[in-house]
Amino acid sequence: MNKTGKSFWALLADNAVPIVFIVISAIAIPLSGFSASYLVQELLVRIGRNSFLILSLLIPIMAGMGLNFGMVLGAMAGQIGLIMVSDWAIVGIPGMVLAMMVGTPIAAVLGVFCGSVLNRAKGQEMVTGYILGFFINGVYQLVVLYLMGWVIPVTNPVLLLSRGYGIRNAVSLIGIRGVLDNLIPVSFPFMGGVVRIPLATLLVIAAFCFFIVWFRRTKLGQDMRAIGQSQPVSDSAGIAVNKTRIIAIVISTVLACYGQIIYLQNMGTLNTYNSHDQAGMFSIAALLIGGASVSRASIANVFVGVILFHLMFIVAPMAGKNLIGQAQIGEYFRVFVSYGIIAIALVLHAWKRNRDREAARRSLRGPAGSPAKEAA
Amino acid sequence: MKTIMRFLQRTALLALLLALGTWLFYIGREHQIFLDNKSIERDGKNFRALEQVNVSVKSKSHGDAWGEPIELLARDRDVVVTVGPKFSLKAEILDSMGGDVERVIEITLEPGFQKDLMLSLPLLNAARGDFILPSPGGVPVPEEPAPAAEQAGNP
Repeated sequence: MNKTGKSFWALLADNAVPIVFIVISAIAIPLSGFSASYLVQELLVRIGRNSFLILSLLIPIMAGMGLNFGMVLGAMAGQIGLIMVSDWAIVGIPGMVLAMMVGTPIAAVLGVFCGSVLNRAKGQEMVTGYILGFFINGVYQLVVLYLMGWVIPVTNPVLLLSRGYGIRNAVSLIGIRGVLDNLIPVSFPFMGGVVRIPLATLLVIAAFCFFIVWFRRTKLGQDMRAIGQSQPVSDSAGIAVNKTRIIAIVISTVLACYGQIIYLQNMGTLNTYNSHDQAGMFSIAALLIGGASVSRASIANVFVGVILFHLMFIVAPMAGKNLIGQAQIGEYFRVFVSYGIIAIALVLHAWKRNRDREAARRSLRGPAGSPAKEAA
Repeated sequence: MKTIMRFLQRTALLALLLALGTWLFYIGREHQIFLDNKSIERDGKNFRALEQVNVSVKSKSHGDAWGEPIELLARDRDVVVTVGPKFSLKAEILDSMGGDVERVIEITLEPGFQKDLMLSLPLLNAARGDFILPSPGGVPVPEEPAPAAEQAGNP
């Protein structure tokens, strides 16, 4: 009984964040007054829109590099691909694939750069990646605001600022809007409404999930897991730790590039100077809310996180409006609770890590009164 | 030997990717087709604008079916968007009263890598080969000032 009680509390403690969100959602959903079909439709759209970006975070976590805040680098590469494709007027699936092809080398180079920097800041990867995102944001702005149309050939007047160089604040992606989501049109009646499924997007995401499962079993995947467990031991075992870490970041950055393109094809508008800003923060928030930690994340965490995080996005403003009369209160509550919980998740992780380290250190000392101590 | 093989493999992969990119560019390109129904002079002859012509276009952007016909009166100019390396155009030339169809012209054009095309309908009606005119450029767009530093994504 005691053991059962302990495992229950351990389970509760391990899944505290998703449980809190489930409770909040359970209260907010009836208050919002939204129909079940509307909620399911919105959730399906948001799962399709965001899951790929969040899945791109899993590989660096596997390699023990924490949450890759540097994924915004990949998002920027994807946006550059989309700007070029918009300039060339390539539309539909070919446009989307071409944007990915343009973005891939940029994302790979940025990934190598990011990985190299993170190798020089071992143990501080998250904050380094976060600040690196700001630095590359400056470079991105230099390229997009000054070099495009001047050094980099961009000729479409719809994209260029009236001065002749630099890209406008908002770029319409009407040519690729929803091309993947609507590639295989499927809809079904659900509780009095009709729900459309972005089947092609979900299939791409499923393929990515299979890729991650397969990748974990490869030699490279096993190396990454070993590095995630212990870098000194992996190094002693002959694994090229630094190179493997760089590969993990390159894969994550390239996949984030694809994720951002999938995200923006759903949105249909590229906010040139801001779209990438929140990509990392929202993805990391969703993953943590799904029950992941800095050192452990699974595919299930991604989907639980997307559902819970975006459910809050959908219902909180209307719940606030219906409860207090102001939608802003609900939105404020959502932001407050969401990011507060992220902070708590990170603090809890740091606390647990320190506690585990302390326990490991104690176990090395051995029990009090051991022969070694008595001999001393 | 191993290095040479690796170099060759990488070169082949790069060439394959470039070929794929070029093919995507070719099949996914959107074209603005300007339809010009203004009087035009060629070889000292004046080709008068058509009284009324209905133009339909068939391309990937219309789901490979004939799109809604565009009605052009004399001195009109309109634009239609097509996707893909080729498109079909059907011009129904109406009599001066705008009632009966006098003639139907159907052609298939391949803009290929070109972005825009302008077609002279009077020259097309005269069955001349030089009915493709230089593109007038894109549609005018509203001006927008450069974003300020704080707008440009600074946190």
